[in-house]
Amino acid sequence: MSETAFIPIAEATDRASAVDELARELGVRRITVLTEEILRDGSGALASSVTKAAAAAVIRNPWSGSAVSTDLAPETERIAPVLAKLLTDRLTAALGGAGEIEAFGKSAVVGLNGEVEHAAALIHTPFFGNLVREFLEGTSILSFSDDRAEPGTSIAVPMWHKEAASTRSHYQTLTLTLSDAPHPNEIVIVAAASTGSRPHPRIGDRTTDRPVTAEILEGILQ
Amino acid sequence: MNIRKIVTLSEEILTEGGRPVTPGARVAIAVAVVENPWAGQGFVEDLTAGIDATASDLGALLTPKVIEALGAPVEAYGKAAIVGIEGEIEHGSALIHTLKFGDHYRKAASATTLLPAVEKRAPAGTVFDIPMKHITDATIRSHHQSVEVRIADAPHAGEILIALAASAQGRPQERLAPLSTEQ
Repeated sequence: MSETAFIPIAEATDRASAVDELARELGVRRITVLTEEILRDGSGALASSVTKAAAAAVIRNPWSGSAVSTDLAPETERIAPVLAKLLTDRLTAALGGAGEIEAFGKSAVVGLNGEVEHAAALIHTPFFGNLVREFLEGTSILSFSDDRAEPGTSIAVPMWHKEAASTRSHYQTLTLTLSDAPHPNEIVIVAAASTGSRPHPRIGDRTTDRPVTAEILEGILQ
Repeated sequence: MNIRKIVTLSEEILTEGGRPVTPGARVAIAVAVVENPWAGQGFVEDLTAGIDATASDLGALLTPKVIEALGAPVEAYGKAAIVGIEGEIEHGSALIHTLKFGDHYRKAASATTLLPAVEKRAPAGTVFDIPMKHITDATIRSHHQSVEVRIADAPHAGEILIALAASAQGRPQERLAPLSTEQ
């Protein structure tokens, strides 16, 4: 059960508004939340549905036009924790609380006037990752993608199990597109989560794999 | 009705044109990806049975989803039907252009106008824009707006994607009303 479940609605709303206002002051232009509830896949229905969600914030790149010698730490420490709070609040609201979440991941896409290092700064430090992990009640390192692209790019957010990253059934991806982002001077930051595994997982796990080495090619490449 | 997945999207615009939007402008959509009720049947002359079996249930399913995703009273709305490439556009139209579908949404939103719509046939991952107009007066210019949607893996060739869209306000920074001097 997530801690926020016990906060009175009015107080929780005030707190959410404060985070939104701070986000706006930091240069957030838009926030998008995508959910996908999967009921069936391939030829069969799922025993119980799985919901994946992504929360994305489009923020002004604070380092656009700066030199590669620029220290990214001050802005990262100012912005990344707010984004972690903003996005995980939306994810837990969309998925019914952190307790419902089994897998998670993150992505950053920088606009064409920025460096990939700018995108990386906002997701690859403890100022984002540790907070996302804490708010979503996980222990794993977060899987990720980072990229530089034009607006409307397809953003594939990889996810894996939030407590046991090598759990093969939970390797999965959610794809989203923001038609007008990132502008050349913006960065898209995404946090994603899933309430379960891929549909119909059946490719085993490390515990069931037999040893596989390059020697198996001897049987295949006659 | 065979539903593969249900997708919701909610957008909050906090700044537009470099200026703050207060409160943030909210838009939402809810989409059901369903098996085309007429898939594999060749040309079906009378679509009534498929409409009766599907359209009302889709309206009832998507209405609370889109309203919840918006999280605010609906001021403008619209709908969409995107048919996979083995179907007819008429199949998508059949499911959304009936009061059986739209009345669920009109009633829940206390709306009175017809729902603006987009219908097209397209492959999975197609981009489509859902037009929206004011829920009680389709001539209110501030509320003419669109929301863009793309679902990477839908519709499959034998599927139809059915969507409802909602907006909690007019366009961000809308300011055309004072210019409306034409009759």
